[in-house]
Order: sequence, then C-alpha cells, then structure tokens
Amino acid sequence: MEKMKPIAQSKKGSPSPPDKEPGMVRNPFEEFNSFMASTYPLPLDQIVQSTEAVMDQIRWGYEKLLEEEAKELVWMVQYNTIIKAYEIAEKYVKELDYSAEDIEDFCFALENTQKIPYLIPGPAGVYISALCNYAKEEEIVLKLSELKTEINLLGFRLPKEKRLRIDGDTGDFTGIGLEGGELFVEGNAKNWTGAGMRGGKILVKKNIGLHTGEWMMGGEIYVGGRIRGLGNIVEGKVYEREKLVYPGKAKYPNLYY
Amino acid sequence: MKVEEQDYQSIIEKVWPKLKKKHLYPEIPMPRVKGTADSKEGEEDETEGVGLEMKAKQMTISGRFVSRMKDKMPEQRVIEALLDHGLSHYTFCPWDFHTHLMLYAEAKKVTDDKRLAKQVANYFIDVIADTHCVKKRDTEIPDLHRHLKKGTVEEVITSLYQKIWGLDLGISPSKQSLQGHEDIVRRLARIPYLDRPRWGESIKKFARSIKPLLIEEQREKEAQGGKGEQNPQGDHDLNHYSNEEIDQGLRDYAKQTMALSEFKEMVEDFSDELKEMGYGMEGGMGRGPGNPIDADVLFYMKLAENYSIPLKKLPLNEKGSLHPHSHSPWEIGSPYQDVDIWTSFGKIMPGITQVWTKKEGKGRGKTEGSPDCLIAIDSSGSMINPRKSLSYAVLGAACATNAYLQNNAKVAVYNFSDAPMGGKDILDYTDRREDLYRVLCKYFGGGTALDLEDLMPLIRGRKSLDFFIITDMKITNLESLIGFFGQIQNRVTAVHIGDNPYAARFEKAFEKKKNISIYTVKRKEDIPHIVLGRIRDYFNPTQIKNS
Repeated sequence: MEKMKPIAQSKKGSPSPPDKEPGMVRNPFEEFNSFMASTYPLPLDQIVQSTEAVMDQIRWGYEKLLEEEAKELVWMVQYNTIIKAYEIAEKYVKELDYSAEDIEDFCFALENTQKIPYLIPGPAGVYISALCNYAKEEEIVLKLSELKTEINLLGFRLPKEKRLRIDGDTGDFTGIGLEGGELFVEGNAKNWTGAGMRGGKILVKKNIGLHTGEWMMGGEIYVGGRIRGLGNIVEGKVYEREKLVYPGKAKYPNLYY
Repeated sequence: MKVEEQDYQSIIEKVWPKLKKKHLYPEIPMPRVKGTADSKEGEEDETEGVGLEMKAKQMTISGRFVSRMKDKMPEQRVIEALLDHGLSHYTFCPWDFHTHLMLYAEAKKVTDDKRLAKQVANYFIDVIADTHCVKKRDTEIPDLHRHLKKGTVEEVITSLYQKIWGLDLGISPSKQSLQGHEDIVRRLARIPYLDRPRWGESIKKFARSIKPLLIEEQREKEAQGGKGEQNPQGDHDLNHYSNEEIDQGLRDYAKQTMALSEFKEMVEDFSDELKEMGYGMEGGMGRGPGNPIDADVLFYMKLAENYSIPLKKLPLNEKGSLHPHSHSPWEIGSPYQDVDIWTSFGKIMPGITQVWTKKEGKGRGKTEGSPDCLIAIDSSGSMINPRKSLSYAVLGAACATNAYLQNNAKVAVYNFSDAPMGGKDILDYTDRREDLYRVLCKYFGGGTALDLEDLMPLIRGRKSLDFFIITDMKITNLESLIGFFGQIQNRVTAVHIGDNPYAARFEKAFEKKKNISIYTVKRKEDIPHIVLGRIRDYFNPTQIKNS
C-alpha cells in the first residue's frame, strides 16, 4: 500500500502538479502554509498565570481547613471552634505570598462551585479574615457587593494598623474579636457584630442586627442606619447615626428602641 | 471627493490586502474614508473625535481624524491601527451580537445602570480586541494609543495597556490624573482578557473595578454641562450588526438564558437602538418597522425558533399539482426540502440560500399539503403566566405554530380560561406570526372551562384540520370536551401537564381513538422536548414502528 506523503514535504504555496499520482490526497489549505501567524508574549500572560497559581494555593489552604475543621460539612460557631479554625487558617495563610486583590478573587471563587465545591460561611469567613490579617497591605478593599452569600466572621481579629473596607453586606459575627484594626462595612451587617472586640473601630454604613457589641471589651462601633439590638456590652462605645447609644439610655439588650 | 480623501482612500487600497491577510481574510468589504480636515464647520460635529465607524460590516475611517493625527503619526500607520482595531472586533471580540449581549448583560448585573453597563461593555470589548491584536499581529495600535487625546478613563485604560502589553505608551505612573487610580489599574491587569470562555466572569470583575471611575467621570460631565470625550476607535452600538445578526443574537440569547425577565430587561435596554434600526416584530422573521417591540412576545418568538418540528403532510384536494415557480429567500427554521441547491451555491445560510416557491398547475387531483391548525391553549390560574416567567405551554404552542406556518398552513388560536364567562380570546386562521404570538401570550388566570360553541365556527367547513390543545386538563366541563373530541375525525394532539385524575379520565376516554394522541408531561421543563419529539413520532408513523 502506498504511503501518504507528509504535508511538510509538499512545496509551500504550490498547487498540486498535474502529473501527480492519482489517489494522492492534497491538503486543501496548502496555500496558507506560507502564512505563519506570530504570537508575542505579553506581561498579561505572566500576570494571569501567577494570579492563577496564587489562587490555587489559597484554594488549597481553604480545602485543608475544611478537611480539618468541617469534615462533615457542618461547622458550629463556638468560641473554641472559631479559635481552632483560625489557628489552622493562620498555619496555611502564613506560607502564602498574595495580594489584597487575591483575597477578593477568592471571595468570588467561593461562589463558583466548579472551583470550590463547598462554601461554608463560617470557615470561609475565618479563612478570609486570616488572609486579611496576614496581607502585606495595610489597607484592604474587598468589593463584595455582587456576592450572593453574606460571609460570616469577616474582620475577625483585625489587628492594629490594618484597615479593611468591605463594599457590600456582611453576615453574622462581623468584626468579632477585633484587635485594634479599622473595619468599614459599606452595606449592612447582621447579628453579633463586634462581639468580644478589644479595640479599634467598626463602621457600618447601613443597618446592623441584634447582639451588637456582645461582650465587647473596648473600641467603638459606628452605625449609619439603625441598630436592631445591643448585646451585653462590657466596655466601649456604640454610636447610632452619630448619636452615642452606649454608654447611654439603652439599658436593655436586644430590645427594639 | 476631495484630494485628501482620495489620498486616504488610496492608502486604504494599498494596505487592505496586507491587513486582510494578517487577519486571516475576514469577509469585510473595503473600508471607506469620510470627511477631511477642511470639511465645512460643524459638518462632523457629532463624530468629531471618532476615527472609525462601523455599520453592518462597512468600516469608515474619518479623514478628519487622520488629518488631525498626522502631526503625531504618519497617516498610513493611523489608518492601519484603526483598521486593525476594527478587524479585531469582527474576528475576535465581540465577534457576534450574542456575545455583545451576553457581555452587556453581565456588566449590567454589576452596574445596575443601562448607560454604565453599555460603557463598561464598550471599554471591555476594546481592551480585548486591542490586546488580541497586539498579541497575535504586528500592529500600530500601541502607537495610536500613545498619541490619542485622553480623558481620565482613557488614561487609566492606557495605563492598563502599558502594564499588560509591557510597552511605554507615555503614561507616567506619577501623572496626577492617575493618582488614586493605581489600584484600579492593578485590578484591571489581573483579568484574563484573551480567555474567551471566561469573558462573562471577567467583565464582571472589569465592571466592579472601573465603575467608580465611570461614575466620577459622569458626575464631572454633568457638572460641566457638556458632552464628554468620544471613543476615537468608535462606539459599539447596534449599527455594527445586520438585522439577521440581531435575529440570531436574540435567538441565542433567549436559548441561553431561558429567563423571560432577563431577556425582557435586555430588549428594553436596547429598545431605542432597535427602534432606530427599524427592528420590529412584523413580517414573521422579527423585523421591519412596525408595532413597538413587545419583549415578552419577542422572547417566545426567538426561543421557539431554536426548535423545529417536522410536519408530515397529508393528501389534500387541490386544483392541480404544484410546480416550482419562483425563488424566495430561505429563513432559519424553514423546511429544507424546497431549497434550490443550485442557486444557493450548496450552502444553508440565511441571505444566500433560496427556496422554490411552488404554484398550482391546472387540473384537479390530490396532492400532499399541510392542513391548517387550531391551537387551543389554557391560560387559567393553574397555568404559568407567560408574561411573568417562562411558560412551557406557550413555548410548546409557539413551536407548533411555527411548524404549521413554515409549511404554508394557517393557524387559529383559541386561548381560554373561563370561556363561558368571557375569559377567552379567539384569533381566526392567519399566517401573521406576531398576531398569533400575541394571543398565545395572553393570560386570563381564572377558572378553566371551554365553550364548545366558540370552536364550532373555527372547525366547520374544514375537512382537513389539525387540532392542538395544551392544558393541565383541570377543565370543569371536561366531559363535554371528551364528547366533542369523540365526534371529530381530525388529527388531535393533546398535551397535558402533570398527572391528575382529569388527565387520567381524558386518556382513558381516548385509549382507542387513533386520531387522538395524548402526551403527558410530568415535569414542565420537559414540554418543549417531549412535545416536539412526540409530534415528530405522531406525524411520522414509521418512527413509531421503529421505536
């Protein structure tokens, strides 16, 4: 059986000769052989590639945290579980080299089930908080207003000299255990905001839920809208629409006033 | 034609073969030049800062723009850069109207504002087209960006180009207007612009980053009371696309989203542009100036075009046999059997493909034809309101309507809810698709009862007539309907939604009636598929035997 002539051996751009052996298959695109489209490497390729690599590492850390802390995909918010989850998150986050933009990308990747199969708001919030606390930048802006899920525990243990601004709403336990940082929520925050915070500032542009400032030991909470209910506050100040409500006339926690 | 204009045209003629080859021979006509620097005052005010215009597939270079740029860059290079940009739009992004719509819809999810979403989509499309061109071709685009007049947004975009292309485009990071916008550039630079499958996700990220800047620019413009800078590379409005491309884009978009509200919102956002282009719904193919666009009707029209039902013809009495008489253009969804392959150059493509229009000859005899169809659709309270969310009942009826119309038959619609109490709408036999769809989309939302007296005039005197009914069978006078169907010999296709005692009663009554086929749909989502498939079986007895 006659072997087919490899395409590379045919003359560039030349039509098949009339005396060519019958049955010979001719590449119909032969004329285009002379055209070689060149591709120029751009810095964009490098940026996108490294961004993907960092995202893979961040994702891996989160999956490890879930493996260790939420094996049954159930996670109860308790003092001990939060502390333990944070310690694990710290362990993985410390090793990573990332930027503030990577944290935002991770928040959106959490909603993409193809990339991350499980979004559990508690551990996700703890992990994002750890990422923020160990980020190189002093100021971190997370534009999360299009996020469909409200993530809990954002701003956990935000240290001094760190500023975290969140465009969008946050879930429960926002800014708990704040350690002197400044947390600015551009939307609403839910219940238990600022619980156990020791110092620093929480500014919520819109409304805030119940148990606000529960067991807070210091710092200030500013709310642009309404506070649904205050918690048992030990020390610190809470303002509603620029008016000091704690210490003040709000004697009873969790009452609508 | 002025001398300068002629010079520019000759430059285009010189560089065009090279550019076409570079972009792998796109089917684009030779670009033209319009206007020069010495054009009369005010002649080109509206497009003063625009270098390139694209309408349908015709690119037009502004001579005035080229003249203004010639001190900074040789004319040939300006023209080449503009054409490279334009060609990249046709060959890479947005490529087609559907992609454009998809990008706009994603941008709107972030901006929540029609004008901002259009701006975001325009910038995004430009960044992709230019970056693609810089990566894949030898181009003068970077040089053009170096010399273009820029506003704040354009400076940020040029700074982005500088970062992602690795070229000096004359933007210094210390430039005052860029102060405070470094983070935007940093964010924008992380987007995988050339990764087509990720464009939907990427434009959202792009919109999130650039939105504050666009709002700021808008505020400044409003404060100044004047109009802002125009895009020198041309705006991306619907003028780019032909009516066929818009039809195809809407069809694809309806199929992809399957969401009435999203489609409606998008059509309403583009209603002015569509109106300006003379895009209406009259004429059966969804075009031509006519009534204002009813987005709901258009949605079902475009969605139904994605499905086609083969219709087995019946022997009908005619005066004489049909013979090919003249040609007419083939439209998407039309049957293939009448295509004239010789005059269609062997291609199935709207605009190229032609079909034979047949005429009756002299004499009498029987010939195969499609009977007219009476469609009865239930729009009672237990059915989905087709103007609120996707109604598979309306979609099923719409697909059946298309099948008959495409086979040159006429369709009548009996839309009923509590018919004896006036909850009904009747449309006599017509081939006007828009009218039919309007009646199909009507929703009464009351009780369910047919008034058989209404049907009699529609059936009487018609020997060959198909009957198509789509309902949930929760009809209060079901027994009367059963009695009525028991008497007629026409082909009846009955589709009911879900299992219920009424449907079981209906099925039992017609177990042995060969001219009545009943289709149960357990999940509403199955309607378009099952109805279409079963209809095919029904009209193709051979397939039933094989299955």
